[in-house]
Amino acid sequence: MTLESKRRVIFFLGMLFLTSLIFVQWMEVTRKRQEAGLDDAHVSVPAASKGCVDCHTDNTPGIVSHWKGSTHAKKGVGCLECHAADPADADGYPHYGKHIATIVSPMDCSKCHVTEGKEFATSHHAKGGRILASLDNYLAEVVEGARVPFNPHSKTLGRSHESEKVNGGASVESGCKQCHGSQVALVATDGSLITMADLKPGEDGKPTNTAILQKIQKDGKGKPVLHSSTWPNTGIGRINLDGSLGSCSACHSRHDFSPRRARQPENCGKCHLGPDHPQEEIYNESKHGVAYRDLRDKMNLDSRTWVLGKDYSAAPTCATCHMSGHSRNGGKVTHDPGERISWTNRPPISQVMDTDKNHAVILETDPEKRRALIADSWEAKRNRMKDVCSHCHAPDYVNGFYQQYDDLVRLYNEKFAKPGTAIMTELKKQGLLTKADFDEEVEWDWYYLWHHEGRRARHGASMMAPDYTHWHGMFEVAERWYTKFIPQVREIVDHAKKDGRDEKAKAVEQVVEEIMNRAEHRWQKEPPKPPEPK
Amino acid sequence: MSEHPETPVPPQEDGELDRRGFLARASAYAMGAGLVTSYGCFAAMAGRYLYPARPAPKAWMYVAEVAGFGVGSSLTYTAPDGATVAVARQKSAGNVDDFIALSSTCPHLGCKVHWEGQNQRFFCPCHNGVFDPSGAPVSGPPFEAGQSLPRFPLRIEGGLLYIEVGLEGLPTGEE
Amino acid sequence: MGISSWLKERIPVSGDQLRELTNEPVPNHLRHWWFCLGGTPAYLFVIQIVTGILLAFYYEPSSRTAYNSVKYITDEAAYGWYFRSVHKWGATLMIAAVILHQMRVFFTGAYRKPRELNWMIGMCLLLLTLIAGFTGYSLVYEQLSYWGTTVGANIGASVPVVGDLSKQMLLGGETYNERTLSRLYIIHAAILPVLTIVLLGLHITLIRLQGVSELKFSSEKEGEPAHFNFFPDHLLTEIKIGLVLMILLSVLATVLPATLGPRADPLSTPEVIKPEWFFYVAFRWLKLFSGTFAVITTGFIVFTMFVWPFIDSFLRRRKGLEEASVWVGILAVLSIVGLTVWEAAVAH
Repeated sequence: MTLESKRRVIFFLGMLFLTSLIFVQWMEVTRKRQEAGLDDAHVSVPAASKGCVDCHTDNTPGIVSHWKGSTHAKKGVGCLECHAADPADADGYPHYGKHIATIVSPMDCSKCHVTEGKEFATSHHAKGGRILASLDNYLAEVVEGARVPFNPHSKTLGRSHESEKVNGGASVESGCKQCHGSQVALVATDGSLITMADLKPGEDGKPTNTAILQKIQKDGKGKPVLHSSTWPNTGIGRINLDGSLGSCSACHSRHDFSPRRARQPENCGKCHLGPDHPQEEIYNESKHGVAYRDLRDKMNLDSRTWVLGKDYSAAPTCATCHMSGHSRNGGKVTHDPGERISWTNRPPISQVMDTDKNHAVILETDPEKRRALIADSWEAKRNRMKDVCSHCHAPDYVNGFYQQYDDLVRLYNEKFAKPGTAIMTELKKQGLLTKADFDEEVEWDWYYLWHHEGRRARHGASMMAPDYTHWHGMFEVAERWYTKFIPQVREIVDHAKKDGRDEKAKAVEQVVEEIMNRAEHRWQKEPPKPPEPK
Repeated sequence: MSEHPETPVPPQEDGELDRRGFLARASAYAMGAGLVTSYGCFAAMAGRYLYPARPAPKAWMYVAEVAGFGVGSSLTYTAPDGATVAVARQKSAGNVDDFIALSSTCPHLGCKVHWEGQNQRFFCPCHNGVFDPSGAPVSGPPFEAGQSLPRFPLRIEGGLLYIEVGLEGLPTGEE
Repeated sequence: MGISSWLKERIPVSGDQLRELTNEPVPNHLRHWWFCLGGTPAYLFVIQIVTGILLAFYYEPSSRTAYNSVKYITDEAAYGWYFRSVHKWGATLMIAAVILHQMRVFFTGAYRKPRELNWMIGMCLLLLTLIAGFTGYSLVYEQLSYWGTTVGANIGASVPVVGDLSKQMLLGGETYNERTLSRLYIIHAAILPVLTIVLLGLHITLIRLQGVSELKFSSEKEGEPAHFNFFPDHLLTEIKIGLVLMILLSVLATVLPATLGPRADPLSTPEVIKPEWFFYVAFRWLKLFSGTFAVITTGFIVFTMFVWPFIDSFLRRRKGLEEASVWVGILAVLSIVGLTVWEAAVAH
């Protein structure tokens, strides 16, 4: 090689080096911009969804931006992967050359997230929409609202559509169903609702009752109309048109589907809070919640895997104990939060969580039959929870805690819940209560006692919040029992006696007085001796 | 590396040789330019790397309630970065101009001044700089240069006095 | 011209003398690039010094600050990730280049009389480079580098007689402790570079005194000049190689930048623990045999490499085994490559 050509090669190589340095600078600038939040991390839009993203960047920039920050975007899961509809789907419609549906159901998510879908489908969460027959629903539908629409009785200034009837289901729709889930319904041409019960979806989610598809009302663009009483709704037990239960975005909000968010207690707090089940407040009061708030930076919330004892161990959140993987179970996450819960404190009387093959709590009393029904015992569930506890607590500590928790639940059950249930049953049996619920004060008081105060006490003990266990819990249970519930029952008995329904009154009185003569209630009659010094 | 080696150029007699000489020189310059720009760029990046990546972070911090801060009174505020700030109220107009927040850093060469109660003055031990209670120079090098003690920006919001101070400092001698 | 005459008066060295001094005639075979592998590690060494000094501006060698300062370099300082990546890839390429250079010297028999001493200096440089790689990685103070250092120090401890002393000297205590990182740092950033510079100077001086060993290729015609000028001809070749290396380093730094794993946790050892790639050979060897035996054999192999010029001369003169070194070399290369690939392919 001559000297001159060597020089030319050096010039060329120098330029190449310069180019590579310019590339380095370009990367540095991109990095800084991303850090400053000026740019989204680079995502490639899947070809099929290119049109969607182009248009929606202008129309709904929020949706596109959320999606761009998601793992979906990074892995090439675009709009159509979830929203594409089959021509046979009841809620599908043509949209700029594609056939799509608005609602993405757990059946759609399960196409990829198979295990998560299965676990969720068998969980108590998925059954959240089945509350039609419950007392709570009766309260919201009837006592708070009205089962039939009614006419307004005077004008509302500034509102033009005064002929519109008052929707008596409003409280259920904006209240109950936003957590529990609605039964998604399409509007029919005759104004009635078309739900999955009418569509009769098969295993694949496609409607088998095709005749009814003709009746679906469509808007000007051929889009089926979802009834506003049932959608928007991301309740955890939503009953979808394809027959699947629930809504994944209840916890994994769309469109970023952030696992980070689902790991944080605030996420569960959308529903698990308030006077009847203040789990979020209880957690906040507990040492667990205090540690979480302090050590949030060390929780590794952005990690791809989030295994307790491996990826983090600073503090537990709701997800940590009830759902997430940990180092003792091989990091396996469950989407059935009931798998580690050993008591159900939902009903008036707490039951242990022996569940059958359908994941329902077994209420069978015969021990033999009971054993045969058990698919997953409460002890197995408790051991699963202990595996989590033992990441930070020694066995003696964990067992000691469970002793304290069991003791509180049993105290509540035996002193108040079982006796109270017996009294209410007897009142109804003897006809001393009217047929309608919540029309007598004692019904309200009993409801408060178990549904609000009794649960607060039990949940408080379950998650180590002393104030909720005592002042917001057992204290109020006792106050309600001694100053309201029992006096009211005695009053009903007295009234019945005066009305000449002596026999019935005596039957109830016998139950009440037997209970009030028990050792744990006798303090009113015989003040207890002060505890002897030990 | 940017030195251009001499190339043997035969005595220029005709146009052909002249052209070859020019080409040789051109390639030598091109090589030099290539080397200087590329390694120069590398050196410039190294310079940027050594220059501080970001200015020291500052924030508005709460100092005191305006209502509870009497005219003529003062307090010593300690910033998150460790700086001690003398905050005093001089007027009663109720706006931010009532207050002054004096830095304890001498404007001369950056030493820390301290308050001498008996002399009613700030004193800098490095070069005997003296300031009056309002931070104005009295004697020493700051007086000659007309430099007052620097003041921190203040702000009143909702009846509360805020100060803009640095957040990150070195550990102090007491630790 | 004023400046140059002013300078000449004060620095009485003429350009001609300087040229005479540096302009060593270069044998023709150096026109083939693979004979220039000696200059490559030297060039990379300069890169390591430059980037190393840059990194030292922000690096804080203490167990409490080291990880965060590396994080600062990687995440916050402008171009910090680039210089760190160049330093990391520079180390990798430097070790590779040293090994290739040594292989070339070995297979062409360039270590033979009178160049035995330079071969031994070269061996020292190889060891220094490897130790620099080891100590350099340990400074990152991430999980793998922490455990790599711990394991490495304990392997050293199994050397008979001096093992425990060497471990104590390296770690500044029985185990990894508060004062360990500053030791590793000063070894990496002061002692090794100084030793390398001194030995490199000796290495080059000896080459200059003895001249490069010459080779003839059959394709060369008789009667052509057997040498060409170092200056500027060979210098330009070296500049070319330098630029190619810079481009290669920049591309590697951008495509595969140096990462930062989790911070060192003295209480939990990662599931898969591996040293840097250049120690795979030794690591696999250690797994094949019991500790002390493996350490002693490793020492023996290194010693053999050191004195190979004399062994080779003994084999050639006394036994007439002219080709022995080639076969030994092939065997050595194959086993090194084999053990490295083996270690790279399996998790444990």
